[in-house]
Amino acid sequence: MRIRDENKAQAIRQKAIEIVVQNGLDGLSMQKLAKAAGVSPATIYIYYKDKEDLILQLGIEMSYKMLETSLKDFDPDMNFEEGLKRQWLNRAEFYVKCPMEVLFIEQIRYSPLYERVTESIKKGFGEVMGKFVRGAIARKELVPLPFEVYWSLAFAPLYQLIKFHSHGKSYVNPEFSMNEETMNLALKLVLKALRP
Amino acid sequence: MTSDIPHPVKDIWVFKTNLRLQSDIRRIEPILNSQSAIVRWNVDQEDTDNVLRVESYSIPPQEVIHLVKQAGYFCEELPD
Repeated sequence: MRIRDENKAQAIRQKAIEIVVQNGLDGLSMQKLAKAAGVSPATIYIYYKDKEDLILQLGIEMSYKMLETSLKDFDPDMNFEEGLKRQWLNRAEFYVKCPMEVLFIEQIRYSPLYERVTESIKKGFGEVMGKFVRGAIARKELVPLPFEVYWSLAFAPLYQLIKFHSHGKSYVNPEFSMNEETMNLALKLVLKALRP
Repeated sequence: MTSDIPHPVKDIWVFKTNLRLQSDIRRIEPILNSQSAIVRWNVDQEDTDNVLRVESYSIPPQEVIHLVKQAGYFCEELPD
């Protein structure tokens, strides 16, 4: 009987993330992962059915982590300004604190597996954010927009700032790091644009 | 009390095989499916060792090796 070992399981997860981030999904094989994690291929198969199962499980785990962070201290009944600010802070926190996880999700985002990852999280998250947006529109705090337009205005500016932050530079400045001041400056303009 | 009933322990066995093609897998499918002791099994076709993974409650690994070999394929336990 093979025994589960939490340290080995952790090493496998950690190395799998690193390999996918560095070499993409095609760069990952069970053999390579076993070598990197210091375990035998057989050990990996105790935890995962196959490579697809491994990526799927890691993707779901990380998406939940992201979701949890993003919903921390957030209430869908918050007024729009307060709620969006919370969302920005939470999302920025996750992206800055867990860069490997974020890069991993970026790697799998355009693979067919990703749909199965989001399937498991979309429902709960969609309900919370949907309630938040509908409430804000009803209270006339937010202009009604098609989803894609709303999302692009509400979140894309934040993600671009995060991108500059993680590169540590922008097109004009050799050094850039995002702070709350920079974020608030962008958020203020976003809120202004979304006000009815 | 259900907690007094001992929970059966599930074994996971992992084998190196030469089940390379979908047709190879189709050939062992009825053999492995007919084993009531096997709960679930799959072959990782992306792996160089064509790993056969078997979840079962009571089948010894030697029995799995025997079944696969009988069908004309290579099969040996992957070492830990």
